Amino acid sequence: MASLRDLRSRIKSVGNIKQITRAMEMVATTKLRRFQDRAVASRPYAQEIAHLLGRLSAAMGDKLAGDPIFRPGPGKAVGLLVIGSDRGLCGAYNSQLFMALERWIAANPGVDLRCFVYGKRAYQYLQKRGLKIERYFAEPPLEKLDYRLAKFTAKTLTEAFTSGEYREVKILYTAFESMAKYVPSTVGFLPVQSDAAQASQGASDVILEPNVEALLGKLVPRYLETRIYNAMLEAITSEYASRRMAMKNATDAATDMQGMLKGIYNRKRQEGITKELLDIVGGAEAVRGK
Amino acid sequence: MANQLTLRVITPDRIVLDTQASSVRIPGVDGSIGILPRHAHMVAAIDVGPLRYVENGQEKALFVSEGFAEVKNNTLRVVCEAGELPEEIDEARAKESEKRARERLAGKKAAGEPVDLLRAELALRRALMRQQVTSGYGRQRVRS
Repeated sequence: MASLRDLRSRIKSVGNIKQITRAMEMVATTKLRRFQDRAVASRPYAQEIAHLLGRLSAAMGDKLAGDPIFRPGPGKAVGLLVIGSDRGLCGAYNSQLFMALERWIAANPGVDLRCFVYGKRAYQYLQKRGLKIERYFAEPPLEKLDYRLAKFTAKTLTEAFTSGEYREVKILYTAFESMAKYVPSTVGFLPVQSDAAQASQGASDVILEPNVEALLGKLVPRYLETRIYNAMLEAITSEYASRRMAMKNATDAATDMQGMLKGIYNRKRQEGITKELLDIVGGAEAVRGK
Repeated sequence: MANQLTLRVITPDRIVLDTQASSVRIPGVDGSIGILPRHAHMVAAIDVGPLRYVENGQEKALFVSEGFAEVKNNTLRVVCEAGELPEEIDEARAKESEKRARERLAGKKAAGEPVDLLRAELALRRALMRQQVTSGYGRQRVRS
């Protein structure tokens, strides 16, 4: 059994770890809140754009099918934008994402998968796994994401899609459902799926300035940007939610361990004192008895 | 309220403006478009420029970048990437970027790089439009 001194140093080191994990938990909490606020703030814009897309694609009617961006590409490859995290210590966040990826690969055997990656962890995993990495967005990190970053990413993906090598482009990210629920999900990105049918009412009497083709040509890139922006925000919100949870668990575990160690320590100390007392009493008895 | 329309300016970061206006002028791609209350249903593409509106009899302006505008049910929704109220625009910064864009244009025209030329021209336009909103049009003038 460990000596008293060993126990003391263990209690201390557990305490130090606890301090660190608690600090990290607090950092994650504030960042989580910040990204959540941004996700909420971006929602009206995304809704408007999606709404306009529905309206315009309804106005386009049959001509819509002629636009290559609304049709599966001529190529065979499937592009996948994987949004993972740059750093670890965020619980099962990344491993769950990779499990979802593995499930997708298992469900689509023989597909020429080409990955576009955010997050160092995801990059390392894909590399180790031997998957084709078309592009790794290292700089700027997801942490510093803004609308411009989403715009740039959307442009990169759209250019890849229109090059003709791809059949479709998908996004694998962690959808944020609630503070305690974040689900890795794969969603379609390109070709654009327009839900024209549901918005088709009353589309014919709209004045369009300058005309439907020009409007749609401008709108589609914006729509794609909002999709990426949203996915990025949700991914990073999930990351921080996951990290916060992991750090909270670590802090709780450290508290438990500290309590347990303290119990052992006190018992041992008490044992030591009792033993010493017995020795003294025994010694005194012996002296008196003489 | 009678003879007013709701004007809402929405960007990815926030809702810049949500107000009642008696008339609005938006920078359409093919020229300025005036919108009065009870306008017919319309979707328009808009360009970088000042969006002018009359609120409580005062003409006001704000800067909007490329985007879209939809009028429906007496509500004008402007959906654009950036929207800035005059008091938010950093005039010094706008002047600075105007200068930078002009230098770049002068330099690049000789070198002849088409993509950067386009970017510099767009930057220049944004800078000029920002300044336009802060000076003159941006001041709150009482309408006669």
